[in-house]
Amino acid sequence: MDNPIQVEGLRKNYGQVVALRGVDFEVRAGEVFGLLGPNGAGKTTTVEILEGLRSRSGGRVSVLGCDPEVQTKALKDRIGVCLQATRLQDKIKVREAMELFAALYTRTVDCDQLLKRLQLWEKREAQYATLSGGQKQRLALALALLNDPQTLFLDEPSTGLDPQARLEIRDLVLDLRREQRTILLTTHYIEEAEKLCDRVAIVDEGRIIAMGTPREIQDRAAGESTIEIECEAPLEGELPAWRDADKVTLDARRTRVSVVSRRPARSIVDMLKWLDEKGIEPVDIRIKRPSLEDAFIELTGKSLRE
Amino acid sequence: MKVYLALFKSNMLLTLRDRSVLFFNYGFPLIFFFAFAGLFGGAGNGISYFVGMVLTMGILGNGLWGAGMRAVQDREANILRRFKVTPISPVPILTAAMVSGWLLYLPVVILLLVVAHFAYAMPVPRQWFSLLIMVSLGVCAMRAIGLILAAVTNTMQEAMILTQLFYLPMLILSGATVPSAMLPKWVQTLAEFMPASYLVTGFQGIFFRNQSILDHGPAVGALLITMLVGTFVAAKLFRWEKEEKIGPRNKLWVLAVLAPFLLMGGYRAYTREQLGQNQGFYRDLQRSGAFLIRGARIFVGDGKVIESGSVLVRDGKIAEVYEGPAPEPDALKAELVEGAGKTLLPGLIDVHVHLAAPGGVSSDNADYQPAQSMPRAAAALLYSGVTAARSVGDPEEGVLKLRAEIASGAKLGAQLFVSGPLFTSDPAHGTELLANLPPTVRTALTPQMVRAPKTPEDARRQVRALKKAGVDGFAAILEDGWGDGEVPDRQDLLLARTVTEEARAQGLPSAIHTGNALDVADAVEIGAASIEGGSWRDPLPDTLLDRMASQGVYYDPMLSVTEAYARFYKGDAEALGNSLVQQAVAPRVLNATRGMLASGKAADAAKAALFDQALGQARANLLRVWSAGIPLAVGTGAGYPLVFHGPSLHRELQLWVQAGIPAPVALQAATANAAKLLRAGNRIGSIRKGLDADFLLVDGNPLEDIAATERISLVVYKGERLRRAALFDRK
Repeated sequence: MDNPIQVEGLRKNYGQVVALRGVDFEVRAGEVFGLLGPNGAGKTTTVEILEGLRSRSGGRVSVLGCDPEVQTKALKDRIGVCLQATRLQDKIKVREAMELFAALYTRTVDCDQLLKRLQLWEKREAQYATLSGGQKQRLALALALLNDPQTLFLDEPSTGLDPQARLEIRDLVLDLRREQRTILLTTHYIEEAEKLCDRVAIVDEGRIIAMGTPREIQDRAAGESTIEIECEAPLEGELPAWRDADKVTLDARRTRVSVVSRRPARSIVDMLKWLDEKGIEPVDIRIKRPSLEDAFIELTGKSLRE
Repeated sequence: MKVYLALFKSNMLLTLRDRSVLFFNYGFPLIFFFAFAGLFGGAGNGISYFVGMVLTMGILGNGLWGAGMRAVQDREANILRRFKVTPISPVPILTAAMVSGWLLYLPVVILLLVVAHFAYAMPVPRQWFSLLIMVSLGVCAMRAIGLILAAVTNTMQEAMILTQLFYLPMLILSGATVPSAMLPKWVQTLAEFMPASYLVTGFQGIFFRNQSILDHGPAVGALLITMLVGTFVAAKLFRWEKEEKIGPRNKLWVLAVLAPFLLMGGYRAYTREQLGQNQGFYRDLQRSGAFLIRGARIFVGDGKVIESGSVLVRDGKIAEVYEGPAPEPDALKAELVEGAGKTLLPGLIDVHVHLAAPGGVSSDNADYQPAQSMPRAAAALLYSGVTAARSVGDPEEGVLKLRAEIASGAKLGAQLFVSGPLFTSDPAHGTELLANLPPTVRTALTPQMVRAPKTPEDARRQVRALKKAGVDGFAAILEDGWGDGEVPDRQDLLLARTVTEEARAQGLPSAIHTGNALDVADAVEIGAASIEGGSWRDPLPDTLLDRMASQGVYYDPMLSVTEAYARFYKGDAEALGNSLVQQAVAPRVLNATRGMLASGKAADAAKAALFDQALGQARANLLRVWSAGIPLAVGTGAGYPLVFHGPSLHRELQLWVQAGIPAPVALQAATANAAKLLRAGNRIGSIRKGLDADFLLVDGNPLEDIAATERISLVVYKGERLRRAALFDRK
């Protein structure tokens, strides 16, 4: 079976401005695929082309076997979309919004169930303007789930929310992941991508510069970990050349040694053996593995939140 | 369908939840309605003038702001964007908004009608279905325009400016806030390019004149096209989000929607018919409302006199006639007009006037141009309390047009009955009035003013053609020449008979102008409905009088003409000194006529003597006719030298009384009898419940002193208390 989402050589120009310079990826059935990148990288443009909101300038795109530009209506009936910013009329009530949007689809789930699931049941008679940011976002997700879509597009679902609300949204996405729905998610939160996504593509300036599981990307970006050992007594004299250890440094009191290593396991064995021989007791050992963020910075040369 | 219903329901809920929408939809029109009703006053039918204005105002707000700006808001706030990711097209969104906007407006109509009906006694509109259609088309067309304005603007600010550019001119210039008739003419023409103007006039037509939408065909068509084209273009140009922008060229679509009204405006700017229409509806407003003329002596018209009575006028008609003590005007919700010491007469009727001739001589050519002279004469008649007149021998097209303009209220003047061109011989009596005109004008006017058939077939064809053109009757001349060549030979009797017979076949009366007893006998023989002029040359034999009485032929002696000729040939300017003449006749005409008489150019002692004698003969014949029980009607031949439109009727009455006719008989001949001759006795000529409120209120008692009719205190015309001084300008 084909992948639910297939993108090949996708390009998009806004007049003279090139937004996408040839993007290729696929999202497999039942996986959560993350597009990770800074603002303006082209994440939203990509998603909106797939949703049928925008036309493309080149490349091939298939969502659930449809070309979003051709079978737009059929496609929209089957996908769920949570826009980067959802705005409804101030005076519409939660329940009314659900009923209104439900009427637009050929197939819908029970609105009440959905409201309960998204913890909006108590708020069902509240007007949109009175909802908190988190409640609004949960409503946006509820609207995206109205037609029980197997394929979902979530464009920065947790951006702009307070930490508590962000956690709620993440739990929801994990729920959806457990239900084996196919999800294309964009984010600029590394930890979100690490926690939620089966696979991630890092997007920068209209290109995918890395793709794989969060772990693969970390590994590919830089294999070096940092080992820190805190000792009870200062380390006297020359330090030996441990295997694989680069950049050995001591702090001012000479009680903490830190080593950068490509193979931290081997380096640690050597270091502990040496300490044992000297009769020095290690108090604490820390290994800092490279994060997705490190990988990102290394790959793109820029920080995610700027 | 599910989609449409859901969108419709959502629209309704959201609108009803929005206080500003509720205020602008329902509160705003009501506030204006009360303000207008309070400011301009009025009750009864007149209030519907304001209902029409306020309905239009509401439709403007509903369409331009309710549909247009709301669409822009939804787009610019990216509310529509959420819909873009669902399987929906613009059509249900636009349609549902149109339907809900329309439905939410209907309560406004009902609310206004209920308030106007119960608080201001406005009658329930008879053409309610047309009203519904007009309101609906108005709302939908205006909403379509609103949607287009929304579609061709890229920002909230741009939309705001463009909407104001449409809203304000339509609000102020279309008649929705200021009655159109009060605006300068060029503004009234400009307003014809605006859809709102057609709504205002449409509503007024439906309310005042029981018109249906069919009477407003072109406007209804234009609204329909605007609605359909607008909705189609709005769907085509529909944008879901703020980020999408419209190109400058696509903005030209706005013209497609306005095209029907650009065409309508262009056409109206050419025909200028809106000016009369606006005046007409404004006239209806003036004619609405109620007042009570209290405690006057009432000459009913049919000879009956109520020594002290009151008349209630409501919305242009006589609502009630009270004998004896009058009811309280407050209880009747009527204004009071005090009539103590005065006499109320039905509006006077002159059954024989020539509107196109000035009644004297003039230094100004305009006084000989029928387009100018006829409306002026009709206004002078009204000024003098003559509220209806039969035009004889006036330029056909011009007088029919004037009759329509007066009937529609576009112009103020005596109600006209048109007997069309004169049937006569060629060269003919009836054309001598044209002798003063330049030959080209004379050539152009002659076919408009006379018919000189050569054969009976000719005559029949001409009668039928005139009937088709809409005349109210026919006039023919059967008067022999004077033997001096000044008045040409008499028309062939067979042709005259053909005219009266064909006229009768067409269901219309014939008025036959005569000069002597033979003429009268022939006229009676061929079936004239009225004898105009009678005999002033020899006595009418008894047998003829018997026949006239049994046939019920009306006799109109036109003594004024005979007297005027006598004075004219004597150079006698006495008529010019009459107060009413000086009020009603243009000073330049008075001056030129006085100068002409003083110059002695017209002096002719022989003719003066002839007409002195003729006047005596005519008076004697009138007295005998009356004694024989023949019905009388008053005509004056106004337009002849020294026979002035309006004052001449009062002079005629005086001549009758001088001849020995009792004043009530003379007055009846100038009111109820004349109306009967004009076949309008069920509308005018008497003071009777249900008839048109056409009156003359005079100081004193004309039943004792006939000259009292000239002391006019008030003229009421179709329920309007006329501002007589404004009827014509004093130049």
